[in-house]
Amino acid sequence: MKRYVLVRALYSVVTLWLLVTIIFGLVRLTGDPVAMKAEAGADAAYVAQLRQSWGLDQPLHWQYLGFVGRLLRGDFGHSFEKSLPVRDIYFERLPNSLKLGFAAFLISIVLGVPLGMLSALKVNSVWDNTGKGIALLGLSMPGFFVGLILIIVFGIELRWLPVLGKGSSAFVGSAPSTWLTFWFRDWAHLAMPAFALGWYFSGAMLRITRSGMLDVLGSDYIKLVRLKGVPEAVVVAKHALKNSMIPVLTFAGLNLLIMVNVAVVIEVIFNWPGVGQLLYDALSNRDFPMVQGVVLMSGLMIVLLNFTIDVLYGCVDPRIRLSR
Amino acid sequence: MRRGFLLVLVALTLTVMSFGHAVAQPAPILSGPLAKLDIKPAQIDTARGTPKGTLTIAMHFALDPGWLDPLEHITAVTMQMYDYFVHDAMIKPMPYGFVTYGLAEHAELSADFRRAAFRLRPGLKFHDGQPVTTADVKWTYENFKGAYAKLFHDKLEHVQTVDDRTVVFHFREPFIDFMDLYNGGVSGIGWIVPRHYYEKVGRDGFKAKPVGAGPYKLVSQQAGVQMTFEAFDDYWRRRPAAKTIVVKGVRDLTARMAGLQTGELDLAFGMTGKLLPRLMSDKSLRWDPNFTGPWWLMFPGHNEPGSPFRDKRVRQAVSLAINRPFLVKQETQGIGKPWGNWVSPENRDALQGPDASVGEFNLEKAKQLMAQAGFPDGFEVEYTPFPPYFDMGERIITDLRAVGIRGKMQSLEGPAFRSKVGQGRKGFPGNRTIVQNIDPRAGGSKANIAVYAVCDSPSSFICDPQIEALWKKHQASLDVAERERLVKQIQRIVLEEHYFVPLYWNPFVHAIGPRVLPEGEAFHRYWDTLNAPYPWPWEVWEVKADR
Repeated sequence: MKRYVLVRALYSVVTLWLLVTIIFGLVRLTGDPVAMKAEAGADAAYVAQLRQSWGLDQPLHWQYLGFVGRLLRGDFGHSFEKSLPVRDIYFERLPNSLKLGFAAFLISIVLGVPLGMLSALKVNSVWDNTGKGIALLGLSMPGFFVGLILIIVFGIELRWLPVLGKGSSAFVGSAPSTWLTFWFRDWAHLAMPAFALGWYFSGAMLRITRSGMLDVLGSDYIKLVRLKGVPEAVVVAKHALKNSMIPVLTFAGLNLLIMVNVAVVIEVIFNWPGVGQLLYDALSNRDFPMVQGVVLMSGLMIVLLNFTIDVLYGCVDPRIRLSR
Repeated sequence: MRRGFLLVLVALTLTVMSFGHAVAQPAPILSGPLAKLDIKPAQIDTARGTPKGTLTIAMHFALDPGWLDPLEHITAVTMQMYDYFVHDAMIKPMPYGFVTYGLAEHAELSADFRRAAFRLRPGLKFHDGQPVTTADVKWTYENFKGAYAKLFHDKLEHVQTVDDRTVVFHFREPFIDFMDLYNGGVSGIGWIVPRHYYEKVGRDGFKAKPVGAGPYKLVSQQAGVQMTFEAFDDYWRRRPAAKTIVVKGVRDLTARMAGLQTGELDLAFGMTGKLLPRLMSDKSLRWDPNFTGPWWLMFPGHNEPGSPFRDKRVRQAVSLAINRPFLVKQETQGIGKPWGNWVSPENRDALQGPDASVGEFNLEKAKQLMAQAGFPDGFEVEYTPFPPYFDMGERIITDLRAVGIRGKMQSLEGPAFRSKVGQGRKGFPGNRTIVQNIDPRAGGSKANIAVYAVCDSPSSFICDPQIEALWKKHQASLDVAERERLVKQIQRIVLEEHYFVPLYWNPFVHAIGPRVLPEGEAFHRYWDTLNAPYPWPWEVWEVKADR
């Protein structure tokens, strides 16, 4: 097992190094950020000074070595556009993205899983057709459209919910009270963006739950359980649901990562100060350090998640950890 | 007896008036003849009451903490908006004049343009309570790194701090543009930064928590998202009217509109495009046209062999093909004004009136000119609109198609577009391209010419020997009137040769919500500052008290 974990950890490190190298190269293919910042008519001295202060006057290999060296010290560099350390800006935004992502994730689970189960249990009934209709709407109505409808109805017409930003709660310090305040205050600000983001994923969740349940409900061991006279509620809750949840949970984990890292459109519409909007701004402005930082942090999350899943698989299934 | 008494009274009054006048006349700083300066006095109103209410503003893009540091000030007008919050300049544009006294109460420029002197007002303070002194003025100048920095540093011989309130700049050679460029509306060097604080907290620390001598103190910021300012009670000109100002970066137009309608925003910028009719029809909202600069078309590489735009008649045909009144109606609901120059009429030296008449719409004549130029069947071009004005680009492409110029739209993101325009002709490969541009640049018409219309500018789109000769003469001249005449002559050439095709004067509409005071139409006064794309100064903005 120890060797298995070490090999997986090595894979993770190699993956991260590849990501570091690829993102370093890719951002530099997008053009010159100095030309972007310097305005029409900017004098050559100003442009040269800007290039020097951003370290872009160095040969590419020195830039790369400097970048990797700083990364090893936990330093992502300075944002070209926002003129502050990338790390500070990123970690200021991350809690907001986590809050939105988790809320949307809960909504997708709460809507998708029970409706998917209902569809599967009442297959080809009105319930099933309603569930399929909701799944279709979820997958075909983009989040920005749902968001705009919500803004018009609940924000402008009814004036029930605010339409901009995350409210005044800030994630500062490590005291438990701060955590509680951050997560549970300003829910009115969270409601619409979380629903608009979770809505799409709930459709997908509904479909995957339904198909998983149908597979399991048609399997031999469920038939056997039923033949043994076990009550239907127990069959569903104890035997069918548990087994049909494996693909659902894997899918849900990936969804959560997506919701945290790339909810760009929803963040823009609701002016939610998350990581997605940060990446979008950085890409638009050729802010190399910021793009590198955000992409690497997202990559790190995915690599860590995959590493954890690999280790867990190894723990539960000896065939995996013993295979070479 | 009565007559004698009256005479004594008159004599006494005249004596007191002349004495008062003598007191009001500031003591001279420089010896020798002085150049004439037109700097308006500051309107000081110290009798103002307690600041109240919160004004919430939405910018139309992400906020940059770098805007809070005048030392790295580029010419971007957005930065000035933040200068007007936190900092204060020696001289700056205000509603009562494009050049008005700020921190300085008196300025002089020697007639040979080799020395400039300022006297600071008494009792000026930074937000941390430290006094504003000439040492800060000197340090700001010497450490400035933004736009025109090289010019300022190359020209400077030394800065002499005569005392805490008097400073003299000595130049190596005549610096005729000094007062124009030192104006806070044109560059960042005149916005005074506290030396003691900047050296203590460093560059990053200053951007995160700047200290200045302006009407508002920054109390918190989330980079890119929000900045919160609070009134600085000791501001010298007047106590600010609003207690708190919150600026949010709200990129999405529909979100800004929704924020105004729900009352979460009090002022939003960039309310143009498809939502403008909705804004205009909403009874609870008010708006100001906020004219900025004119739109114009440019032809990169027009003077090169193989370019259809090499022929003046083709460039003229482009101008004749555009239906400006319709364009204005479509783009701005009729608010914009067709305009015959590429320089804003708010510049005192902009060519106006009959010398810059609005381009005619005449398709027949345009077709004739195309045929005479050898293009009876037209040709294909790439059309690059100023983002995000793509609808406007489509409209212009449709107009041009009527005379055979078949345009293909090249849509760019805002920063990418600015980057290309910044490179001038080199930013656009090929020479069959039309670029739509706007640049509400302060600094007079000469600033626009220096950037776009002379050969050695990095952003040059015109390189004409006749213009070069006039520009050379302009740069060498120490005669203000002659310089203005030359600047107008250059504008005339650009227009007569159709190097640039002006379209209309653009309204960059701003909208306000019901909490902004005064109610009714008097609110337009907030947009009175010349050449200001944003409604500064901020200390005059009034809102209803917070609920």
